[in-house]
Amino acid sequence: MTRSKVINGLKPVLFTLPAMIPFILFWLAPLLYVLYLSLTEWDFMSPDKTFVGLQNYADLFSNPAFYKALRVTVLFCAGSVLPVISIGLGLALLMNGKLGGSALYQALLFSPWVTPTVAVSIVWSWIYEPDVGLANTVLNSLGLESIGWLQDPKWALIGVLLVTIWKSVGWAMIFYLVALRNVPSDLLEAGELDGASALQKFFRITLPLISPTTLFLFVVQIIQALQAYDQINVLTQGGPSGSTRTLLYLYYQSAFESFQIGEASAVAVVLVFICMLLSVFSLGVSKRTTHYQ
Amino acid sequence: MRIFTRLGQPVRHLFFAVLALLMAFPFYWMVTSALKTNDEIWRSPPTLWPEVPLWGNFAAAWNEAPFARYMGNSIFVATAIVVLQIINSGMMAYALTHMKFRLKGVFAGVILFGYMVPATAVYLPGYLVLSELHLLNSYGGLILSNCVSVFAIFLVRQAFLQVSHELVEAGEVDGASHMRILWTVLVPVTRSSFAVLALITFIEQYNNYFWPMLITKDPALQLVSAGLRSFFVEGGAYGLKWPLIMAASSFTIAPLLLVFLLAQKTIMQSVNMTAGSSKG
Repeated sequence: MTRSKVINGLKPVLFTLPAMIPFILFWLAPLLYVLYLSLTEWDFMSPDKTFVGLQNYADLFSNPAFYKALRVTVLFCAGSVLPVISIGLGLALLMNGKLGGSALYQALLFSPWVTPTVAVSIVWSWIYEPDVGLANTVLNSLGLESIGWLQDPKWALIGVLLVTIWKSVGWAMIFYLVALRNVPSDLLEAGELDGASALQKFFRITLPLISPTTLFLFVVQIIQALQAYDQINVLTQGGPSGSTRTLLYLYYQSAFESFQIGEASAVAVVLVFICMLLSVFSLGVSKRTTHYQ
Repeated sequence: MRIFTRLGQPVRHLFFAVLALLMAFPFYWMVTSALKTNDEIWRSPPTLWPEVPLWGNFAAAWNEAPFARYMGNSIFVATAIVVLQIINSGMMAYALTHMKFRLKGVFAGVILFGYMVPATAVYLPGYLVLSELHLLNSYGGLILSNCVSVFAIFLVRQAFLQVSHELVEAGEVDGASHMRILWTVLVPVTRSSFAVLALITFIEQYNNYFWPMLITKDPALQLVSAGLRSFFVEGGAYGLKWPLIMAASSFTIAPLLLVFLLAQKTIMQSVNMTAGSSKG
């Protein structure tokens, strides 16, 4: 090979390096590293890591705290994803079609998504204040009793979920508005000519046609729910008595508060595994059932 | 949907007007609480508008913690990340869409794989990698560790795929270098994707909390979310400084609401593109 040929062959690689080097350093290497750390015992301070094989996983799977965190994670995912998607769709259906001023409504409904989770969570923690907070004031004025929004283990997760839903629902609505606009009107008209009722048209035509959006929102929202940290950190820090401690929060606490690196890494690997399973699952589903136009 | 449109415009207007106000209410509550005195904010039932608005609370909160520094840090770091991401995702996407090379499939696969890995789950080893590189507690660490985004690469790749090969080939015939073709032909054609990328990345990075907090212990390097959070804890989340905390939250949020107001169309458009790029 001549020199210029070598250079020409190298060019594409040079183009990829600015992205690949940080990608390998900050994504791929950590991923392999965490896999290795999950097989060791280490306290972050001592120079040596002891190789313990699958012991951390065995410990994890026999630890009730893990199952509690897993349960909270599932509740958190279901409790945020399902409302966000269904309310988002409902609002988009209501707003679809001519509605003057809808740009203003969209902006107002969408604005929570733009703002920092930490800042809005602080505002919500004031709203949830037990004695004079707005949430309890409203409840009291309706003749209901006050709730320990963030102090009562029965309610804390709901309190965190409300903030999470509030933050994303407008975002989901915008996605659905775009999807609804892309449903061809001649299909709906054809359905109408065939005598389909509004509900039939919705379930037979609209819903299948917007299914790629639903699938996308579903996956993105679940992955976001699995990674939720900011609002939990500000509102409850995993408490009270672990009622809002998700797997990610458990990982954070065992890694950076109690320095059990091996065990924390095992939790991280489980999280990564769940996310990959979900992504692969969604890829499979989208190939089989969704309708791309 | 006919059932809903049949409800009639006035009903729908009323519904959305009420809902939009409810959704925006926490922001109103934040600003009005920031204007109250300690006594008033702890009064029950709460007042909807402060008796005497104390605009000085904003200045007091601003001076009580180095918020200028925090916000400056956030804006600087977010801007640097935006610039780097535009450069590296532009180049990466160009290689993936308009160049032929042997490792292409491998690289594309690795990136797709990265799409499935939750960033938060690898924070611990990421922290160790940064410490090996002596990048903890530095702007370099904050910027470099965030300078590549799989989403950005997907978004730009999707945009480049829509550009016809002929445009690129014409450039090659003219003897233009790849760099020239990328920055003077492709990027201008796909600028709306880059605008979306810049806005979304800026918002995301300005709001970033967990990771920057982990890798910077030096208060002078704190980003605004972490700074606000420590002000919240120190200022006595349980103490008496709620009006100042609300004031601080207000000016933390303000730049983003301003960006949103100015670039609303592009941000809304981004929704369309995100959905598109995720379809691969």
